[in-house]
Amino acid sequence: MLEARGLTKRYGGFLAVDRVSFHVQRGEILGYLGPNGSGKSTTVNTVVGLIDPSAGSLRLDGVHILDDPVGYKRRIGYVPEEPHLYTHLTAIEYLMLVGRLRDLPERALATRVPELLRLLLLWDSRYATMAAYSKGMRQRVLLAGALLHNPDLLVLDEPFSGLDVTAGLLFRTLLRMFVANNGMVLFSTHRFDMVEQLCSRVVILSHGRIVAEHEVASLRTGGGPSLEEIFVRATGQDDFTPLARRILDVVHGA
Amino acid sequence: MKWRIGSRLLQRPEARLTAHFFGAMFDFGILTPQGADSFTHMLLGGVGSLIAVGLGATRVYAAKYAALSGNATAEPYRKAVLGDDLFLIGLPMLLVGLVTILVSHSVFPDERDFRILGPLPVQRALIVRAKIGALLLFTGMFVGVIHIALAPLMLLTSVGRFREHAVLWRFGAWVLSSLTASVFAVLAITALSGVFMLVLSRTRFHSLTALTKSGMLAALVICVPFVFHLPGLGHPMSARAEWLMLVPPAWFVGLQRVLLASADPWFVQLFAIAMAAFVLAVSVVAAVYIVLFKHFEWLLLRPPTVWHGWFRQRTSDSSNTTATSAVSLPARLGSPSFRAVQRFTAATLTRSQLHQAVVLGLSACGLSLALSRLVNSNFVDHIGSNNHPSLSFIGGVAWAPFALMFVCGISIRAAIALPMTHHANWIFRMTESDEGRREAMRAVNHVVTAYVVGPSVVLAVVVMWLLLGAVAAIMAGFIVSAVGVVFVHFVLLDWRRIPFTCSYLPGKRLIAHTVVFGVAAFALFTSTGSTLVGVSTIKPSIPLAIASVLFALGWFLWRRRLAMWRETPLIFDDDLPDQPLQLGL
Repeated sequence: MLEARGLTKRYGGFLAVDRVSFHVQRGEILGYLGPNGSGKSTTVNTVVGLIDPSAGSLRLDGVHILDDPVGYKRRIGYVPEEPHLYTHLTAIEYLMLVGRLRDLPERALATRVPELLRLLLLWDSRYATMAAYSKGMRQRVLLAGALLHNPDLLVLDEPFSGLDVTAGLLFRTLLRMFVANNGMVLFSTHRFDMVEQLCSRVVILSHGRIVAEHEVASLRTGGGPSLEEIFVRATGQDDFTPLARRILDVVHGA
Repeated sequence: MKWRIGSRLLQRPEARLTAHFFGAMFDFGILTPQGADSFTHMLLGGVGSLIAVGLGATRVYAAKYAALSGNATAEPYRKAVLGDDLFLIGLPMLLVGLVTILVSHSVFPDERDFRILGPLPVQRALIVRAKIGALLLFTGMFVGVIHIALAPLMLLTSVGRFREHAVLWRFGAWVLSSLTASVFAVLAITALSGVFMLVLSRTRFHSLTALTKSGMLAALVICVPFVFHLPGLGHPMSARAEWLMLVPPAWFVGLQRVLLASADPWFVQLFAIAMAAFVLAVSVVAAVYIVLFKHFEWLLLRPPTVWHGWFRQRTSDSSNTTATSAVSLPARLGSPSFRAVQRFTAATLTRSQLHQAVVLGLSACGLSLALSRLVNSNFVDHIGSNNHPSLSFIGGVAWAPFALMFVCGISIRAAIALPMTHHANWIFRMTESDEGRREAMRAVNHVVTAYVVGPSVVLAVVVMWLLLGAVAAIMAGFIVSAVGVVFVHFVLLDWRRIPFTCSYLPGKRLIAHTVVFGVAAFALFTSTGSTLVGVSTIKPSIPLAIASVLFALGWFLWRRRLAMWRETPLIFDDDLPDQPLQLGL
């Protein structure tokens, strides 16, 4: 289980994440929702170890990540929000780089990398540098890189942006099967439909604080408010009609 | 009224787009807006310095031609004029060529231009015209400045006692022929860039384009010291040496002489080559622009799967082994982290235009310094001579490998310090461990050692072999290697980065401080090294003992570096020095 307790991140006087606590159990996909600037990416960057928290703790299966930071990082796979890749490399070269940095044996890489490229429909583009790839193709490379070492925990930051319908369906199925095999997924997104279809629980963040936490199954059963309504209420973002009207007024020169 | 017409012209989309592309030529993609401004100021400062140097050189030329005019015969004067004509045409060609290579990334409309401008109500023809306009403006500015700077020198070569033509006529012929030569230099480089772009774009062989451009840059940088030897080629020019047909400035001296009504078959032949080359370059550039204009979508927007490269298609693409063999490395070459960083460094250096330009451009400066020293010391005349050369001569020749080593060290450190897709470094940050870091840094050490020591040892061995034979060559190789392994320690002093993964802040030290320190270190390093090699040819025991000590020291420093790297976390963000610089005033 991944457990975050009182996670706080401060940039000078600015509080990006304020005492956030959540947990992801084995076999679970936790949705992490929030508007832009709510602290989602900061939380994700803290969870994957790219930034150190100002306060709070993170434990994976009871072990504090500071006790064994390298061992912790070996157990997680990460897909960042923006497809930040070394685009001067080919997909094969990039995945080999990732595999070697994750200490995978050369023989395993020689079989896993081509197979993953084939299955993710990137095989035909294997000799092109990723500079020529579309956003969806780069996203698929990132997913391959995140899965390459068979992680226990997947941290996904908007992994579906740029993917076509087919790849999106494949990924959804893949994530379900991943957690069915006792994996854990922290799924940061803006999309309610994805959370409703994939996640078992959802945490809603606003201004760096958790403002709501729900079992997604209870939302599906009907009767109560929808996830969108909960989100709007929790984040204090209600009627957008006046804002939309003002934008159109500017465009129309009123 | 005129002002209004001018203002209206500048507000037309064509003029605005040309101005935008012109501005983009100063942008190398890595500079912040402030950095780009500083670069523009530096460029303008360089232009000013060029004019100042041109004016300063008039004194030297005035003295030279006063002496030549005092001779009894016209022959030395005419030979000097021929040599100076070569120089006054060759120097602008070289400088304009260098500038064109630096901006070759923006001489043709590329995918980004069309993706951004395509959806706007702008015709494709307008984009192409604006690109050509920007190229003409940019290179025209440099061509103009260089010719203004050199005009006084040309006038001084035209007013002597033995002059054959009216001053203005000769000056006009020079302006026309030199401008044609400079335009040819621009066209030739544009043509090569264009052909590579059309043939190789959007494939993994895109790296060949970068490699070719860097190769051209390095070749031109190596030519810099040799351009200053052109004034001495008056004699071979007057003797009609056949090899001069391979020297492009000589072609345009042919044009100049034809414009001066010379019917000499030698000059007519050079003129014919110049015209043929010029027409060829114009045709290729025109063809590239036309093809690009007509088939842009196919050439630059085609999916990456269309073309895999000819030799890939010959092999069976179905096997995993074929696909990964290009990037696989034998396990004996080191741990996975070692292989990852070594492969990443090699791939970046062979594909990134910026990094190649830094490493090859600066190294070419070192090579040109080394070759220039060898040429100046008449090294070729001593090859195969039975007389044992003097110690000072050997020391002078042995200076070359150390100069190359010093500059290669600076260039490789500068190149690996520059970032490449900085935001993608998260994968290195996520996988950092004590042992992995040590291995990654060991890979950096290998790459740097190979680049710093390898070429210098080869140069030392070749030079000493030709001069004194095998034993001296082996000893020189041993000494250069020993100095090299210690020098690598200074190149990697305080190095705690994976190559290309750290942000880059220029100007952390005062330029004057860096230059003074660098020149002093260069002088000390090259003189010490060359003395060691020189002494080894007379009394080998002392330099060999010193080299052995240096090897031991190099090994000790290497072990210390490895231990330090294992214990110290990597840095991924550049930082200004935390201690204020003491000026000591």
